Amino acid sequence: MEVKVEGEDEFANKSYEKICQDAFRNIGVRTSIDHTYLYCNPKEHVFIISVKIGQVSSPVKVGDIIQRGKDKLKITDEKYAPRLLTLLWDKYGKRVQQVSRLEIGLKLEEEEIEALSDLIVYDPREDLIARILDGIDRILPEGARVRSPIPSTSRITIIASENPIEEDWKKKAEEMVSVVGEHV
Amino acid sequence: MYKIMMFEGGVYKYTELKELIEDIGGFILQESIMQTETILHLAFPGEEEQEIRNKVKELGGKLQDLPLAGTEIMIVVPSLGKHHSVNPLCDIAEFLRRKGAITNIMGLARGVGKRIAQMTVQEKAIIEECDAAVFVFGDFKECIEEKMKLCEMIEVPYMIVGGPPDLELEHYVGGIGRVTDRMRRKKEIDTLQEMTVKLEGILAEKRKEMEEDPLAASPLFIKEMIEMIMPPKAGEELPLVIQLDGLRVKIGEEDEERIMDIEVGEKKLSAICEMKKSLYEGYLLKILPEAVTGGVF
Repeated sequence: MEVKVEGEDEFANKSYEKICQDAFRNIGVRTSIDHTYLYCNPKEHVFIISVKIGQVSSPVKVGDIIQRGKDKLKITDEKYAPRLLTLLWDKYGKRVQQVSRLEIGLKLEEEEIEALSDLIVYDPREDLIARILDGIDRILPEGARVRSPIPSTSRITIIASENPIEEDWKKKAEEMVSVVGEHV
Repeated sequence: MYKIMMFEGGVYKYTELKELIEDIGGFILQESIMQTETILHLAFPGEEEQEIRNKVKELGGKLQDLPLAGTEIMIVVPSLGKHHSVNPLCDIAEFLRRKGAITNIMGLARGVGKRIAQMTVQEKAIIEECDAAVFVFGDFKECIEEKMKLCEMIEVPYMIVGGPPDLELEHYVGGIGRVTDRMRRKKEIDTLQEMTVKLEGILAEKRKEMEEDPLAASPLFIKEMIEMIMPPKAGEELPLVIQLDGLRVKIGEEDEERIMDIEVGEKKLSAICEMKKSLYEGYLLKILPEAVTGGVF
């Protein structure tokens, strides 16, 4: 992810560059973002953030996170365990049981077990926008609570301030985003 | 004047050190023993330092200076949200604690923003219960300059911590803006150290003012007297917090009268202290100057 921060204060620019990188990494969307552009103007108290969404990682399937044994599945990535169990319980009910922390016992037909591997446990596309918005919330200063989004495809742009959003800022944001968008 | 230092060492003969401290008229402020590791906060008359050092050397322990010991410090951030806590808020609090201070953390209800930042009367009163306040503001010069007005209302010594390194404000330390991970790098620790030295300077001014008009009894001595009558209950953490000019006593309403009857020298505590209920926790005992109450012995 590339980050560009524009503002008058050199220290703040550097600091916000790191905040952008860290906030998106903590949420786990850093690899799905191509470019982040942040404009800071604390004098007028306007902050504009524009995030360009890039390639999103492919959905996680059951086969990716388990090892198959006889009538048993061993979870290899515990991060997905709750989602996996919910999926299996929804689909097969009491025929699936959690034997231990990382083991799932199955009482399924052979064909059902075969089809199991292709089930999708988690699709990062599902909650990508919500997670990016969460990241933006963590980046923008807390005082800038008045928000205004600018609609565009594959890009999330938000103007934030503690004062009512002025038309000039919206125009400026649109101009800036289109200029930045062309270069990226 | 008492000097406060920290002893770190094993349990081997550490009771001898405790006895020595009591013999020379000092106090044990805090004691924690974790298996074989012993940490003691010692207060003793400054002129006896060499004797203590000799004993510590004999026991094979370490003595460390605690420049902020005996003070209660409030660390104030615009909010307790993700933007300020846990970093750098807790890093600063932890660093000050390692230097001997008792720290409290406070997030303002409406402290965020530039124009909209406010501090309520109650928040101001809570901050003023402590010996000093450290305000942690963000990265922007303009916002810090604006929020400076909030700090100016405070009547206790304060310092401001923020991002821009070259701001010309009184009692300001730069280089700690918004931080996303623990402040553990050398440069960051140096900045924290710089902040501590500055805070020490601010508190030294207050100490000097107090020396000109000395208190009726030292808060350390009063703490000892209270503990003799009302020993700390099991599992209770820091029931008595020492401040520069008094104590914070964490007791219930039922013990209010009992505590004022405690004898300090020839006088009762009620004669040398003013007591009021804290807005934050427990009761505040403010020790009156000796000039007002007369000597306790």
